[in-house]
Parts: sequence; C-alpha cells; structure tokens
Amino acid sequence: MSVIAQAAAPRRLARSRFTFDRLEVLGPLFIMPAILYVVVLVGLPFLLALYYSVSAYSIFNPSYTFVGLKNFREVIDSEIFRRTLANTLIFTISAQIIGLLLGKIGAMLLMQEFPGRRLARALIVLPWAVPVSLATLAWVWMFDSLYSVINWTLVAAGLIDAAHRPQWLGQEDLAMIAVAVVHAWRLFPFGVVIFLAGFTSVPQDVLDAATIDGAGFWRRNYQIILPIIAPIIMIAVIFGTVFTFTDLSVVYLLTKGGPINSTQVLGTLAFQVGILSGDVAHGAAICLFLFPFLLVAVILLLRSLRRREI
Amino acid sequence: MGAAAAAAGLAPAVSSPFVSTALAQAKTLKILQWSHFVPQYDKWFDGFATEWGKKNGFTVTVDHIPHLELPARAAAEVSAGAGHDIFAFNGSGGPHLYEKHVVDLSSLVSEVEKKQGKVQQIGRQIAYNEGTKVWSALPAYYISFPGLYRKDLWDEIGMNPDTWEDIRVGGAKLKAKGTPIGIGLGHSVDPNLSYRSMLWSYGASECDETGKRVTLNSKETLEVVKLVRAVYKDAMEPEVLSWDDASNNRYLAAGRGSWIHNPISAYRSIQKSSPELADKIYVWKTPAGPVRRLACGAPNSYVVWRFARNKDTAIEFLRYWTGNWVAVFEASTGYNHPLFENSVPKPMPILSNDPTSHPADKLQVLETVNEWHATYGYPGPAGPASDEVADNFILVDMMAKAATDKATPEEAVAWAQKEIELIYRKWSAA
Repeated sequence: MSVIAQAAAPRRLARSRFTFDRLEVLGPLFIMPAILYVVVLVGLPFLLALYYSVSAYSIFNPSYTFVGLKNFREVIDSEIFRRTLANTLIFTISAQIIGLLLGKIGAMLLMQEFPGRRLARALIVLPWAVPVSLATLAWVWMFDSLYSVINWTLVAAGLIDAAHRPQWLGQEDLAMIAVAVVHAWRLFPFGVVIFLAGFTSVPQDVLDAATIDGAGFWRRNYQIILPIIAPIIMIAVIFGTVFTFTDLSVVYLLTKGGPINSTQVLGTLAFQVGILSGDVAHGAAICLFLFPFLLVAVILLLRSLRRREI
Repeated sequence: MGAAAAAAGLAPAVSSPFVSTALAQAKTLKILQWSHFVPQYDKWFDGFATEWGKKNGFTVTVDHIPHLELPARAAAEVSAGAGHDIFAFNGSGGPHLYEKHVVDLSSLVSEVEKKQGKVQQIGRQIAYNEGTKVWSALPAYYISFPGLYRKDLWDEIGMNPDTWEDIRVGGAKLKAKGTPIGIGLGHSVDPNLSYRSMLWSYGASECDETGKRVTLNSKETLEVVKLVRAVYKDAMEPEVLSWDDASNNRYLAAGRGSWIHNPISAYRSIQKSSPELADKIYVWKTPAGPVRRLACGAPNSYVVWRFARNKDTAIEFLRYWTGNWVAVFEASTGYNHPLFENSVPKPMPILSNDPTSHPADKLQVLETVNEWHATYGYPGPAGPASDEVADNFILVDMMAKAATDKATPEEAVAWAQKEIELIYRKWSAA
C-alpha cells in the first residue's frame, strides 16, 4: 500500500508541475486576484451606483423605486452642480499641470549629484507618505486667516501690506489655487518618481551625440528627452487625472467646497448629498458624472500612448 | 465511547468563544457620541456611564468622534446593520432622516415629560415626526447661540450689542477702531446657525409651518440679505469667508474680534488660555430683529438603533441619564441646555453663579435661552429637506454671494429659493 502511494505522489507532482508550467494556466491564475479585487471593490460598487442612480433610494426611505433618469435631470437643474462640474475640471487640470511641473523640476534636481541628495529624496517622498488628513490640516494652518505663516512671511518680507493680506481659503480664485496646489503637492512625489524613471531610460549615447552636435540644455530637454519619455508621462497623467478627479479629501478638509461653492468638486458634492443628507440616489447620480469624463480621458490618453509606441 | 467522551469533553472548549461572546453581547452597552467642545463633560459622561454599568452588571463603552464625522458614521452603521446601541446625533441631520432605522422612543419621552415637564418646542423639532407621531429620538440637549462681546470695546463706543442693527452700526464703529465683529461666511456649521437666527429675527424663514412650502423669497429675506451685505462691508473683514467653526473663537481669543455669535465654549477656552481677556468678554442674548429675538440652536439627540443588541438596556440607560440632568448641566459647565421644562430648576447652577467668571453672574442671561431658541426647519419641523439645505450651506452662500457682490441681493435670494425648492420637492416625493 505504502509503496503504491509513494510511487503515485511524484507522478501527481509532476503532472501538477507540468500544468503550472503552462502559461495559459499560470497567467490567468496570477491575474485572478487582481481581477477579483477590481470586480469586488470597483465593479460592484459601480453597478450599485448605477442601480441607485435610477431609483428613489434614500436613508429615509430605503426601498427601491425605479425613477428612470429623473435624478440626473434634477441634478443638472441645480446651479451648484453645474458649477461643481466646472470646478472639478479646473481642479483636475490645474493640479495636474502644477504636479507635473513640480515633478519634472524635482526629478531634474535629483538627477544631479549634490551633498544630501539621499535626504532630499526621502523628503520628496514625504507628501506621498504622510496621511492626507494630517498633511491637509497642516496646510489649513498655513492658510489660516489669522495665523497664516505664508502671509506672515510675505508681510515680514515687505511684499504685501498686512491690511490687505490674501485670504487663501476665503477668496474664490485663491481658494481654488490653494486646493489645487495642496493636491499637486500630494501628487508631485509620484511625478518625480515617474520622471526619474523616464530620465534614466533615455540612452546616454543619444544625449552625448546631441551634445556633441551642439544641442544645449533646453534643446536636449524638449527635443530629445521629453519625446522619448512622453509615453511614461502619459501614464502619470492618466493616474494623476483619475486620482484628482475622484479625490474629495483635500477639498473637504480645506474648504468643504466653500466659499460660495467655488471649490466644490464632484466628490465632495456627492458625499454631501449621498451620505450627509442621506439622499443616496442623487448622490449616486452625481458620482456617475465622473464616469464619462474619466472614460473619455483614459481613451484619449491610451490612444495617444499607442500612437507614440507605433 | 472514548472518542465520544473526548468530543463531549472538548465541546465546552470549542464552543467557549461563542458562549463568552454571547454573554459579552448580553452584558455590553455601546454608546457613540461626539467629542464635546467642553472636554470635561466627556470625562464626566464616561465615568457616569461606566459607574452605571458596574452597578447594573454591564460593560459600558463610550466612543467619541468629531461631530462632523457623525453623519458618515451613522450611514455606515445603518448600512452594516451593526455598531453601537445608542447613537448621539449632533447638529443638522439625524433622527428624522433615520426614522425607519431607530426605535420609537415615545414612551420614554412621555415618561420624562411626566417627571421633568413638557418638552420644549426645539426638542419637538429635533425628534418628533408630526406625520407619523413617532419620537425617533430622545431630545438630549441643545447648544445655545448667544453673542460673546468685548464689553470694554463696546463701552468705548457707548453701545450694547442687543439688536442686529446694533451689530451693524456698532460693528462698523469698532471695525474703524481695528476690532471688527465676525460671523463666518464659509462652509461650516456656525454660519448656518447665525444666518438662520438673523432671518427668523426679521420674520423670514426658508419654509412655512408645515415644513413643506418654501417661503424664502420674501421682502423680509431681502432685508436680511441687504443687512448682511452691509455688516460684511462695514463691520467685518473678508477673512470671514474662509472661517471654520473654530476661527471666530481664535478671532476673539487673539484680541481682534469685538463680537462673535457663538456658544460659550469660546469663552470657556479663553478663560483657560487668557483669563485677563476672558474677564473683558461678556455674554448677551442673540441679537433681536424687528419681529422677534430668535436664535438657531444646535440640536443634540440620542437614538437607539433598531439593530441594537441591547435595546432595553439602552433605553434604561437613557432613562437614568435624564434622571441626572442637573449633574449633566453642571458637568458641561452650563453648555448643554435642557429640553424639558423643569430639568434644571432656576436659579440654574453655574449660570446664576459661576465662580470662574468675573462677575459671577456673567452667564445668568443664558437662563432664558429657551425663550429665544428654535432649530432647523423653524417655524416648521426639521426634516431631511431642511437638513440638506443646511448641509449644502445654501443660506450661507446666499449671504456670501450678496456680501461679496457676486450677485445682487435679489439675485442671491432668487438663486437660494430655486435651490431650496429643488431640495424640498425632491424630499416631498421621497
């Protein structure tokens, strides 16, 4: 009995080894957890949001009644929503531009040899590592109407008059700049990493040849390095856009969408209506306005990426 | 046989975790409430609840979270069908929205009414549904909204901040002397309360007595919006547009502000940080308008979830808590205002004689707060619609639009009327 058992075991092992050696088996097996993760944590909530958005579901009346597109019509009818939609686009685009710009400058600096470079690298990762609530509260203090260190510095340097100090979170345009800058500050370590990866992938001989041919710093940067690393920047833009478009933490902690809804974004409005006010159906409808924008953005960027690869 | 005996012997060990969990569930009471602005109240409450638990053989746990996180936590607990037994709501939103998820506390409320007198109007607004005749919560207390002012500065201009007109005129004089007044105009809770107070005092309101018809677009509202515009330009600094709920406290504590519309927590914190300044700060009623004197108080209430594991114990605890109202009041240093007529007999402790205040009767005016307070939804009941108007800061934005010339007062009022109508229409269909 035991002899037979001993003989059978290696055969089974060999067969399973053979099975796991096959790419068509191993591939799906490895990708399965990721697919499950996406389906359970993204796909199902998305379907649930669709389901709620065409209903009258609320915390007050948690029973399902189909209402068609009524919620979407009512949401669009609100001026607050229309302004929110425009704000979300402005917030996303400006945070991307600032984040990428800071990322590129940071990466270029870190490419240079200088004392304390390792410390600088560690510091640059900090905005990524610090919890958003903690970091944003620090920014709240920096923008405080009474104790702003930014205003104090500007007044001390004689650049502004104390009586006319800017109200970073109180003036509509400044408030939008403030939330975009804070979000860009959170994003830029990601930009630095992406640009660093891109820079190191540029063949040195191409740069050397260009230098010998007389290409200066700007020409090397914009006519050689940037086109080569464009695909990788596109990836950064896609991720950054998705993260920013769906973010509500920075705005919620800094301004709660104020003043006069000038910093209200889709995430905060959906939270306000769907969770705080308990109107789950309209909250879901507001959330779903994120979807077409993100879909179009991703399709455009992926197409552009593919063209560049060809 | 041996195996059977062994299995029987193992059974208690195997099932013991389940048994002990079941016992723990039967003997545990979980309470969630906000982190009180008077921290010593939390300390007192935790000890009070634990002591009660010990006497009655229960383990009582009290969790405290920031008040702004309560709505999201309530939604999460209801979605999960699990969480705390007793949940304390603070501010707008709560008992009315969650009526179908909470235990009807009608018998507890009528029991408390028998012992402590009739529930006040604000308590009814907080927790009673006139349509379904359900008390979805025990009205716990409300946070009053008086005015806190620098007596030395107001004396210099020979005025008292008694009416909203005084605030406009006196505020302008004080701003010229470098000490403006301050009412927030950003997205935070305090402005929601302050501008409702102003509207009511002038006879305006967002809805009528039924709580169904939107009545904001009126000449009274227009008058208030014009007043706010004048107060903003003449008596305040633009920084009010960026204020959160703590900003006006800091404004007064920094010695810059001459009047703020706020609960006494601001005064209490200044007493600790700057006793000399605190002596100059006085408390007076919410300013009066031409029609009435009426402030919007912040409601607080206790609900017992339907999914609570220990509903009877929860109700028993709430009964005991209401039976100790004087202690509640003292522990909150006069901050928690009672919602039943005779909960705290007059002269009220602390308010009539506060040994930490100079003079000791500085807070005495707060004994009358029940005469000049209502809450969200006034003159009608509060409900999901009036709460959403508050959550979306529509009245605050209406004032801010006109104050900053982003819209004329007429345009601002028309805008707010339309937004509020959308919300009321939506909830009336729910």
